[in-house]
Amino acid sequence: MSTVPNGGPIADLSYRGYDGPLESPRMRWWVIARQGIQLALKRKGLWAVMIGSAWYYLVMLIVLFFVQQVLSANPMGEAPMAAFMKRLVWKDQFLHGFSYAQLPLLAVTIMLGSGAIANDNRSKALMVYLSKPADKTDYLLGKWIGIALPIWLTLLVPTVMFYGYGALTFRQYGFISDDPWLFPKLMAVLPLAALMHSSLMLGVSSLFDQGRVAGATYAGIYFLTNFFTVLMGAAWNSSRGEAPAFVKTLYYGSLDGLLIGSFKAIMGTSGTPPFGIQAPRAIAIEPPPIVLVLGIVLGLCVISLGLAWRKIRAVEVVGG
Amino acid sequence: MSIASVKNLTVQYGPFTALDDFSCEIPEGCTGLLGPNGAGKTTLLKTLLGFVNPKSGSATVLDRDIRTQGKQIRQLIGLMPEQDCHIPGMTAVGFVAYAGELAGMPAPQALRRAHEVLEYCGLGEARYRNVETYSTGMKQRIKLAQALVHGPKLLLLDEPTNGLDPRGREEMLTLIRSVSHGRGVNVIVSSHVLPDIERVCDRVVVVMKGKLRMAGTIRDLKAIEGQPADVELREASPEFVRYLEQEGLLVTPTRPNTYRISTDRSPEAMTQMVFRAAQATHAQVRGFQIAERTLEEIFMEAIETA
Repeated sequence: MSTVPNGGPIADLSYRGYDGPLESPRMRWWVIARQGIQLALKRKGLWAVMIGSAWYYLVMLIVLFFVQQVLSANPMGEAPMAAFMKRLVWKDQFLHGFSYAQLPLLAVTIMLGSGAIANDNRSKALMVYLSKPADKTDYLLGKWIGIALPIWLTLLVPTVMFYGYGALTFRQYGFISDDPWLFPKLMAVLPLAALMHSSLMLGVSSLFDQGRVAGATYAGIYFLTNFFTVLMGAAWNSSRGEAPAFVKTLYYGSLDGLLIGSFKAIMGTSGTPPFGIQAPRAIAIEPPPIVLVLGIVLGLCVISLGLAWRKIRAVEVVGG
Repeated sequence: MSIASVKNLTVQYGPFTALDDFSCEIPEGCTGLLGPNGAGKTTLLKTLLGFVNPKSGSATVLDRDIRTQGKQIRQLIGLMPEQDCHIPGMTAVGFVAYAGELAGMPAPQALRRAHEVLEYCGLGEARYRNVETYSTGMKQRIKLAQALVHGPKLLLLDEPTNGLDPRGREEMLTLIRSVSHGRGVNVIVSSHVLPDIERVCDRVVVVMKGKLRMAGTIRDLKAIEGQPADVELREASPEFVRYLEQEGLLVTPTRPNTYRISTDRSPEAMTQMVFRAAQATHAQVRGFQIAERTLEEIFMEAIETA
């Protein structure tokens, strides 16, 4: 207990007041978000999954690079290259990049967000936050941004890199002219994934006081709904398109289905096989109505955040 | 100047009234908030912090309104909550620096100050350890460190010695006393451990069933009207008692060899008379002091009148 000078080099260890600057009580949410991100990014496993979520873009970049190298040296001239490029629907490459990132994105979400509120519940950290000039809004917004921002960047960085490579290299093959609004559409759809995953994860996390249990619950919701949509997809495919229309809408009835459905609806595509391969038997499932799918996504986000809002209380009132 | 002013405050949790038309002024210095469990002490602290919306009444803390300036109040206040609380996955220095940043300190200042405060709270050696590995006593200290990091003008301590062993309790009380006396930090200590309050506080506010029962400086509350004296003799002496009674003093035995002596004369006159009686009756005086009530007696009296 150092309450009196000890005679050492730092002689006075008694309490001294702080007269330095104090920032305005606004923007406390950013401190919370920044701390959440800093703590999460210390985990090497998270980096690995974040990078791994871009695997489709990485493989596609390699494929495109080698195809370009090989076919440009072809004695038959431009024709084979043009034929390959004709099979590629550019916006569908982004759809595949987005779709294949969903599973890794689930892991990223759980690693970032499962303990966001649950661990605070366990260690009663809420009192630390709320006794400072931060309120419930700061707390929830900070936690939300701490999850949403890394998820958004995980999707954004490979998408922009792939877009940049395509725009610079394959402009003559319709990369930009096929859909001049491709980039704005991509910028509009990517935050949706961050919005949905972070909101749902926070809602689930607020219900528990163990991060692991919250993570397992979120994964359970993801896989159970996914299993259902796989069944719906199989039913639609086996009927060769003759099953009732609601079956193909139910194909989007999972967490990643909602996001993929939103992506398809905003980009205006039903999808083509990946890597430009030819698969004549493949049946593309049309996108769901944009209003419906966006309404469901936003509704789920509001419900989840509302749940978290109700659970965050500085005063525990025990009902009689 | 008062650091907190509460006027006719009523706080309800559903049908339960936790504070009932509560009014009090808390001046600068160190004030103890006394009351049995469920009296409304913690509710009062949480209301002052702006966590609870009062049903009626008003309150200001450091001249700021609790209803509209909660954030500004919390920037000037440090709270040491009753229950264990920390942010998981952080070292002590990271946790305290983070608490400083949450309070509005720039990051470099918060880190520098975290080292300083942890050293002061006796956690200098353990500052790089994860807080989750701390013992109960260390967790109490880190709660105090996170409350002090931004240099609050008012420190709210809710049961600060909870779960501490005698040595830890002694150290915590020394810390609180050193912060609250001569360092420009006002302190409100909520506790039902009376000796703790007596050790560190200058004033007490007694709360019972959500109402104010008693408030004032400990010295004033302990004083007994008429300033009687307690005289301790080597052994009981009926002659000594008789002598004083003949002189018109009221003598009441409090223990076998101790007497409480009251008179309407001046304390000096009473003192002279006591020693004259001792000389005349050959009684050996072992102790002589102005009688006062214990804090426990004051507390029991406040509760019994409720």
